[in-house]
Amino acid sequence: RTAAPLSCSSKHSTKEKHLVLLRDGRTLIGFLRSIDQFANLVFHQTVERIHVGKKFGDIPRGIFIVRGENVVLLGEIDMDKPCDTVLQQVSIEEILEEQRLQQQAKQETEKAKVTALKDRGLSIPKADNLDEY
Amino acid sequence: SFHFLMTSPFNCTLEKEEGLVEEEDEIDQFNDDTFGDGAIDDDWQEEHKRLAELEERKNDGLGGLGLGGLGMGGMGGGDSSTVQLPPPASRERGGGDLAESLAMLILGADPAIASVGGPAGPGDRSTGLPPPPSMPQQHHHPSQLPSHHHLTPSGLPPGPLHPSLLSYQQHQHLLRRGGAPMQQMNSHNIWENNMGFGPVSVTPGLITQMEDSPLMSIIKEVGLPNRPPPVMSEDGRDFSERAPPPRSSSPVIGSPPVRAVPIGTPPKQPMSHIHHPTAVHVRAPVHHQHRYPPSFPERISPNTLLNMANSPLCRPPFPAGVGPVLSQIQRAQMLNSQVAGFPRGCQGPPLLPGGGGFRPFFGQPPPHRMGPHHNHVPCPIIRHNTTHLHPQHRRMLTQRMQSRGGYRGGRVGDWRSRDPYSNLMTQREKEWVAKIQMMQLQSTDPYLDDYYYQNYFEKMEKRQERDRDGVRKEHTTKLITPQVAKLEHTYRPVQFAGSLGKLTVSSVNNPRKMIDTVVTSRTDDEEKREKQVWNKRRQILYTVEKMYSLLLEVQDFEKRFMQTPEEQREALLEQHKTHTLQLYASLKEKEWDDRVSDEQCLLIMSVRKGKRLISRLIPFLPPLQAATVVMGIARNLHALAKKDKQDQALCWLVEPVAVVISSLSSAALTDLLQELQGSEGQLSKVLQNKFGVTLLYLILSEGERMQSSDLNCQLMDDNRWTELVFSVTRELLNVPPSSLSPPLFTPPNLLSLFSRYVDRQRLELLQEKLQISALSR
Repeated sequence: RTAAPLSCSSKHSTKEKHLVLLRDGRTLIGFLRSIDQFANLVFHQTVERIHVGKKFGDIPRGIFIVRGENVVLLGEIDMDKPCDTVLQQVSIEEILEEQRLQQQAKQETEKAKVTALKDRGLSIPKADNLDEY
Repeated sequence: SFHFLMTSPFNCTLEKEEGLVEEEDEIDQFNDDTFGDGAIDDDWQEEHKRLAELEERKNDGLGGLGLGGLGMGGMGGGDSSTVQLPPPASRERGGGDLAESLAMLILGADPAIASVGGPAGPGDRSTGLPPPPSMPQQHHHPSQLPSHHHLTPSGLPPGPLHPSLLSYQQHQHLLRRGGAPMQQMNSHNIWENNMGFGPVSVTPGLITQMEDSPLMSIIKEVGLPNRPPPVMSEDGRDFSERAPPPRSSSPVIGSPPVRAVPIGTPPKQPMSHIHHPTAVHVRAPVHHQHRYPPSFPERISPNTLLNMANSPLCRPPFPAGVGPVLSQIQRAQMLNSQVAGFPRGCQGPPLLPGGGGFRPFFGQPPPHRMGPHHNHVPCPIIRHNTTHLHPQHRRMLTQRMQSRGGYRGGRVGDWRSRDPYSNLMTQREKEWVAKIQMMQLQSTDPYLDDYYYQNYFEKMEKRQERDRDGVRKEHTTKLITPQVAKLEHTYRPVQFAGSLGKLTVSSVNNPRKMIDTVVTSRTDDEEKREKQVWNKRRQILYTVEKMYSLLLEVQDFEKRFMQTPEEQREALLEQHKTHTLQLYASLKEKEWDDRVSDEQCLLIMSVRKGKRLISRLIPFLPPLQAATVVMGIARNLHALAKKDKQDQALCWLVEPVAVVISSLSSAALTDLLQELQGSEGQLSKVLQNKFGVTLLYLILSEGERMQSSDLNCQLMDDNRWTELVFSVTRELLNVPPSSLSPPLFTPPNLLSLFSRYVDRQRLELLQEKLQISALSR
């Protein structure tokens, strides 16, 4: 109910990292430098964090300007709180590899599902095709 | 104490300064911080001296012009009271000169222009001296310049820049403009300086006034950039280093809150339900000893910062070119350096939610709705404009914040100095965005919109009450959810008295409402009737017009006849005859030649124009036809009389008719009288009309004349005349005097007429009634 990130602690916005989740599923972490009424964001020293299972990797991205409509949620990261030790940080290459594998696996299952359905004479339209109708 | 002024070759005359004393009345009484307790400070004077000397040293080469400028400065004058004068003078003028200054702004990237157009500001006090650079524009100068004149930064960090050092001129600026109402609302931080000048306080009233004009709001927000100093070509001195050329547009590019109110709001935005968190009237509990570095306002124009950055005091004089735009980074850096270097020992923890710039004091006291203060730190961040949080909620938030803030306290200063990119958004901007977001949460019915929130806190309250037995009341604050007043923002266009039309500020929020369109729906019947009436009238007028054209032809015949040559006269005569016939034809009855169509007659005579037409027409008709026309008139007179009540246009007919009557035969005359009398009651109506009476008299008089003059008069051949006269007299006697209209004239022989037919008694009565006497002629 409150715009706490902006109203309260944006005073401390100097070293407060923010985390934003985008509509395409990406997670960006960085210093929120600017925001406007559309929730367009300017992120500084952004890092894209990819999570695969229990592992995550940070890809430094520099400066991000995010269009407001793509923001799902935005939150402040409390740097003082102890980080989750469950997650394990790995190198970029590794996480990308992991992600690729994950995507691959997902695609395969999807494909199998579609084939199975097709065999049974059913077809479920994929989400990305829906807009065409 | 200001001895250096006296010694300065460019001393301003005291008279001029005293002249400003009168304007003391115009001092903004609310401006306590400039003129009140915190205003005058001995230290300040010393600082002033010191700076002046510094300037003098620096500007030796300039021949002390700088000093002259100093001399001109508001410091001028023997007593501190006169110090206050320039600001009010400038301020008062500033208000009036707003338009002017803006015009100059737009024009004046060129210092030359500015110098030419420089109004007689307080700076014109110097006699014979070209006004010092910053002087003429003083009162237009925005409040942007931090007025830190402190030369020996005590406790200031050796940052990459020396923003704290300003040219003395710029400092002058600020002093002078101490009370400018145009000053930005949030600019109070500027005045946080050792001089002890507090921020300018602007009364709410003033603010609303200011907010009236969108222009003012912009200025308030943005402030006015510096006016360029006049370039003294004759001296070869370039004062451009003192202040950068003004920008013609908003100096802050790309930031959202350029306007105090969102675009498109009606001029007077009722923001009653929104508290402005920013301090309106600020008192600076400044401790002079502390020598705070100037806190930056939440918004500083790049120009301002640029000035600071490029202050001549920290650079060799006359830097080559000073770009007007300061990058965000530089600004942020400056802010950071400022903030970081803030000496501890001020009230409250150094890390304060006071925004990008440090404020050693806080804005308006926190709302009463807030819970008890923790750590004696008021929480200005909780804005009452944004949301109506439950007090518990608010308390939780603040607690959370403070705990976090407290933890961070030790490290922040350090961090801030390291992060050059912080504070890219000013506090104001953040608030603005938050406000927009919060405004969407405002609801007129919280129980409808936020049911669970309300219930949750209600339950919590109950729980608290239960636990505490309601002893400590302060904790069981009830949430009184103020509902946003359902204000009616109907836009009523402003209309000045006596002007045509309305002044409209067209915007998204108010559609143009310049024309009052009122639908007057008339029923069909009404409309039909109206139409019919109009059509008929038009028809009549048309006929009359046609007849007029004929008549005019006839009238002009004689003239033309004279002019045409002999051969064509015949033809013209023929033409004339035709015309006349036509005229008559239009009047007469379709089949009968000797009778005028009643219908036509009525129609034509119902219009004033028609009556006039007839009166002009009759003389041109041949006698017989004229007689029939008169007959027709007499016949229809009763009907016409009614219509003629108002303007008595029938009276025009008197003359031509009289002429006609006099040429009537007795029989015709009798007929005429008969026609006039017509049916029962007709005569009475006729008598009500002036013309009617006159006509009657004419007839009677003619009859009398006939009788008395012509012995062979056939008038008495039959009884018609007698009878008619009898009935007339009867009628005349019977008719009430009120309804008897006085005639245009009374023929003299009426008495003798009546005396023939009525007895003495009646005669006397008649005499009385009609006011005819034997002597009347």
